[in-house]
Amino acid sequence: MTDWLEESLAEARRGEGPFIRRWNAAGRKLGASADDGRARLLRAALEVLPADEHVRLVEELYRTGELRERVALLKALPLLPAPERFVEVGVEAVRSNAVALIEAVACDNPYPGRHFSEEAFNQMVLKCLFNDLALGRIQGLPDRRTAELRRMVAAYASERRAAGRSVPDDAKLVLEEN
Amino acid sequence: MKLFDPHIHMTSRTTDDYQAMAAAGIAAVVEPAFWVGQPRTHVGTFEDYFLSLLGWERFRASQFGIRHFCTLALNPKEANSARLADDVVALLRRYLDKDGVVAVGEIGYDDQTPAEERIFAAQIELAREFELPILIHTPHRDKKRGTERTLALVKETKFPPALTLVDHNTEETLPLVLDSGCWAGHSIYPQTKMDEVRMVALVKQYGSERIIVNSAADWGVSDPLKVPKTAQGLREAGVDEAAIETICWSNPVRFFAQSGRLDLEAPLSIDQRRLWEGNSVLRGQTPRVD
Repeated sequence: MTDWLEESLAEARRGEGPFIRRWNAAGRKLGASADDGRARLLRAALEVLPADEHVRLVEELYRTGELRERVALLKALPLLPAPERFVEVGVEAVRSNAVALIEAVACDNPYPGRHFSEEAFNQMVLKCLFNDLALGRIQGLPDRRTAELRRMVAAYASERRAAGRSVPDDAKLVLEEN
Repeated sequence: MKLFDPHIHMTSRTTDDYQAMAAAGIAAVVEPAFWVGQPRTHVGTFEDYFLSLLGWERFRASQFGIRHFCTLALNPKEANSARLADDVVALLRRYLDKDGVVAVGEIGYDDQTPAEERIFAAQIELAREFELPILIHTPHRDKKRGTERTLALVKETKFPPALTLVDHNTEETLPLVLDSGCWAGHSIYPQTKMDEVRMVALVKQYGSERIIVNSAADWGVSDPLKVPKTAQGLREAGVDEAAIETICWSNPVRFFAQSGRLDLEAPLSIDQRRLWEGNSVLRGQTPRVD
């Protein structure tokens, strides 16, 4: 661990003000490992913050973050205490049009498979198809295939075929039985 | 020669401007937060503006091969909005540590009111706390007095002159700024402020040390190519290439590098296939990929 991160973890436990400054600076201080560093900083900050303040802080970090900060936050969601409390942040990110944000939630992240409602999870699968994000990267997808999700993906495939366009190969991960 | 426009409001400019700037050699810009022409009535508007300078505009510039940095502040004119001023200064604490912020600015005087002075001083203290340089706007009305008051405030607050860029200078203010040890910016404008011919004369008299030029192009009549045009004017007047490079590249780099956040090395490949928040800057053209 870098000296800067070690020192910053201590700062994050001092309170929200010092934490925000370290969170903001982590990109240039940690470079390629900034996402991991930010997750650790946030966990440290939540340790000392009353539990009923956690959702407010996480939602505020999302709202005021630039793109890299938002990506780091979304990747950190499954690592936070009682992570189901932050589901609105994840759903909101999938609702955006920034591919990097959709990817941070949907791909290689156990969070939506564990905590998204059926409606939100299905919308996320469709967003992945629209944005060329491989469905194979959605963790927990096999267990969340429902009749409604199959209907939605089949309708999307039908619309593509009617327009003379190709259907993404991995649509079959939803449509075909194992 | 690579050129730097250290004061330009790209949010108000078009993609044609970005293309012309890149073709003329501009490789990096600093966009100061400023007065957007229409008075803002909610603190949240400033927050969205700061976020757009940190995100969307940086991405847009990168699509044309230009590195975009910004300075954040409450501008002098809106420092008079009592209902907003303190809240915006408080909001800055949330943003000044973010990547891409290379100074606190534009701060300074406009009408030279007590409210402006209070917010100006408060933002100098923010710069000290966040270890950033300051970019100071000098007033267009009663400019010499305003510049004197600016330099007096910098001295009184003991803010380091080496971290201070005083902008929009004229023949009458430049010697004062140079004597103070601060850096001196010049906004080259089609009609007002400073023009290329006068700038050439100033360089011949004062040399290149701590001298900076910019276009200050915004939503008014202004020209985003004034830095390359000034470089050409200096060249035609016989100023040597080393001095031109000092004024039009090295000086702004040295000044803003003091923030520790002027990353001019990270790879910046132009790939117009990239989307930002799902919005491409292209409207059906063939993407350019270098």
